[in-house]
Amino acid sequence: MCNATWGEYWRDIDGESMLFCCDVCADIFQTMVNKVKENTGWNSIDSVNLVGNYNKGRECSAKNGDEEFKYYFRTYSNGKFITFEKR
Amino acid sequence: MMRCPTCLVELEGGFPELGRHIFKQQRLADAGHITWINRYVSKTRTDEDTFISKVIAVFQNDSLKEWIIHQFVKKFYGDDPHRFVIAMQRPSKFVLLGYAYEHHHFLKQWVKSCASIISNTDIEEVQHYELDNISSEWRGSGNTVPSHHELLLRMGESYGAKREDIYSTEALDPTKLAISTWDYICRDLTFVEGMAAMHSLELIANRNIKNYGSPIGYFDPEILSDGSVTKETAEFLKEGYMADVIHSEVALDLIEKYSKKLNIVQPVQAVVMKSMEEFDNYLNARLERGEMLENK
Ligand SMILES: [Zn+2]
Ligand SMILES: [Zn+2]
Repeated sequence: MCNATWGEYWRDIDGESMLFCCDVCADIFQTMVNKVKENTGWNSIDSVNLVGNYNKGRECSAKNGDEEFKYYFRTYSNGKFITFEKR
Repeated sequence: MMRCPTCLVELEGGFPELGRHIFKQQRLADAGHITWINRYVSKTRTDEDTFISKVIAVFQNDSLKEWIIHQFVKKFYGDDPHRFVIAMQRPSKFVLLGYAYEHHHFLKQWVKSCASIISNTDIEEVQHYELDNISSEWRGSGNTVPSHHELLLRMGESYGAKREDIYSTEALDPTKLAISTWDYICRDLTFVEGMAAMHSLELIANRNIKNYGSPIGYFDPEILSDGSVTKETAEFLKEGYMADVIHSEVALDLIEKYSKKLNIVQPVQAVVMKSMEEFDNYLNARLERGEMLENK
């Protein structure tokens, strides 16, 4: 999430063990995955592309097979979501 | 004595001890410390000794006042200004309402912080400074000069909010968290650290911010006269615009003077960083409140 190489924090997301720098980044990613699923009705996500940073928020696109879902989100520093919207 | 800019813990020793503390926290994958490292040191992992020398560089300064201004401008006004500042250039009704609802709680804490600072020192020039601040922010003078808080409430009312609603609406969690941090710093740490936590934040509305390298100000001054905001909003913004220059710069001089006298320059810097972090979240809470009111 923050492109940092500090820290080491592993969490299982959708059955896949993923490496983050800290629990806040993992929380953000997990919440984001859940929100994408809620919005699309997908059971799984093949890939996610995120552009932006903490302050600007992130413009994202998630893919599941041929389908694509574009969205934007921004969080507080503790990972709590301020905004999540379909783009 | 050193103070950690993230968890505010006091550390015996000097910069090596501080550097080792932060380095250890990142190894434990602590989010707060990693955020601090990413922001102030580097995103790329280094060995511990290189890390410590980079931490020393972060705190290096010839003038504490200039260091504070530089950090503040970089965080809220640099190449990537805070979203609230961007929203304030031409603010919508809901941004200003969010401002009114959350800032009411901020100011309720502000007056208590100023009072804590007064109670933590015998230095009269500091006490006088804080008293003047309390009267302009919270009390006003006589029937003719309303306080900044009163002007804030009038701004909210001009967009249809009821005073009782502003009073009875609980602050959002990030605002509450920020307030409790400021309360703690001002009550339990030295008066200088209390002053640094609070008065560095007044730079946000400082008219001179552009002279310090910011491409934009707190708002586009045109809105004060072009009719795009209510008259009450213009009154509120104008007051802060004039007052905060005097507030924040006099305060920064006092902070520099007494932090050197008490030999607590680094702890003061740590508190400034912590306070900016909370302020960042708090400004986002103003935006979130605005969105909540808009989607109601
Ligand atoms: Zn992280
Ligand atoms: Zn710490």
